[in-house]
Amino acid sequence: MEIPYNVELREDTGLYNSKLGIWLFLASEIMLFGGLFSAYILLRVGAGDAWPPSIVGSELSMLLKHTVPHATFNTVILILSSVTMVMAWVSLKQKNLSKYKVYMGTTILCAIIFLVVKYFEYSHKIHEGFVPSHDTYMALYFTLTGLHGLHIIGGIIVLAYFFGPGISMWDSEPERFTNRIEVVGLYWHFVDLVWIFLFPILYLLN
Amino acid sequence: MSDNNMTHHIANYRKVFIFLLIGTTLTVLASYMELSVQNSIAGAIFVGLTIAFIKGYLVAANFMHLNSEKKMIYWILLLTIFFLLLLLFIPLLWDLNHMSNY
Repeated sequence: MEIPYNVELREDTGLYNSKLGIWLFLASEIMLFGGLFSAYILLRVGAGDAWPPSIVGSELSMLLKHTVPHATFNTVILILSSVTMVMAWVSLKQKNLSKYKVYMGTTILCAIIFLVVKYFEYSHKIHEGFVPSHDTYMALYFTLTGLHGLHIIGGIIVLAYFFGPGISMWDSEPERFTNRIEVVGLYWHFVDLVWIFLFPILYLLN
Repeated sequence: MSDNNMTHHIANYRKVFIFLLIGTTLTVLASYMELSVQNSIAGAIFVGLTIAFIKGYLVAANFMHLNSEKKMIYWILLLTIFFLLLLLFIPLLWDLNHMSNY
């Protein structure tokens, strides 16, 4: 039996099913990250001047100052990946598969670069003794960036599937494949959106 | 969507990309405000978060196509934002109340 509403829109929602599905999933993701942001605000407000990164001249504040260029670079990389992701979808709308491959490949490359930079950032912090148990800020830092990193890894797996074996659907059901790329794109933009908020609160505004 | 429509989309994405890069630069610059001006940490946080919200809006409206979505999506998001605000503010109110007891 064929799965209904993969391409055609449902009359009641005006959407194809996977689009409704991804938005419901993203709603749950907003609550997941929202809970952690809430924890951050609560702990930050409660700490006042004793917030570890805000202690002028402390080892942690110096370390954070040095990691700002890495985090800024990663922000630009993620923004770029969002643009290439949406361009991959545009390429499919224009029925240009070779352009799609270039954009999708670039998106995956950007995601991998993001993780490599993150790996060096983590190694440096851990090497200097700034592990999650060091203080409240470090615990929040590793929880938030770690969870975000897991989302990047999940995204890479899905994107790689649509870059590799999943692309065969283009030959049999091009519209359905285009919708799949739109849906995975929505997830990817959400991951970028989360980073847009993580970047200032964890690296800049302490 | 027609090719003409797509060309319009591409031009729009290019503009958004440039705005996001400018926003990122401004956020980084805002964080240095506290180093040069005393007691401006609150101001830097306000500026930084305002830019983050604008950047978030640009991504959601343009890349996620929320500027032209179906009603159902808006209802889902409104409900989510309502619960998100509850999640963000109830602990904060409790904390303020807790602190005022001392």
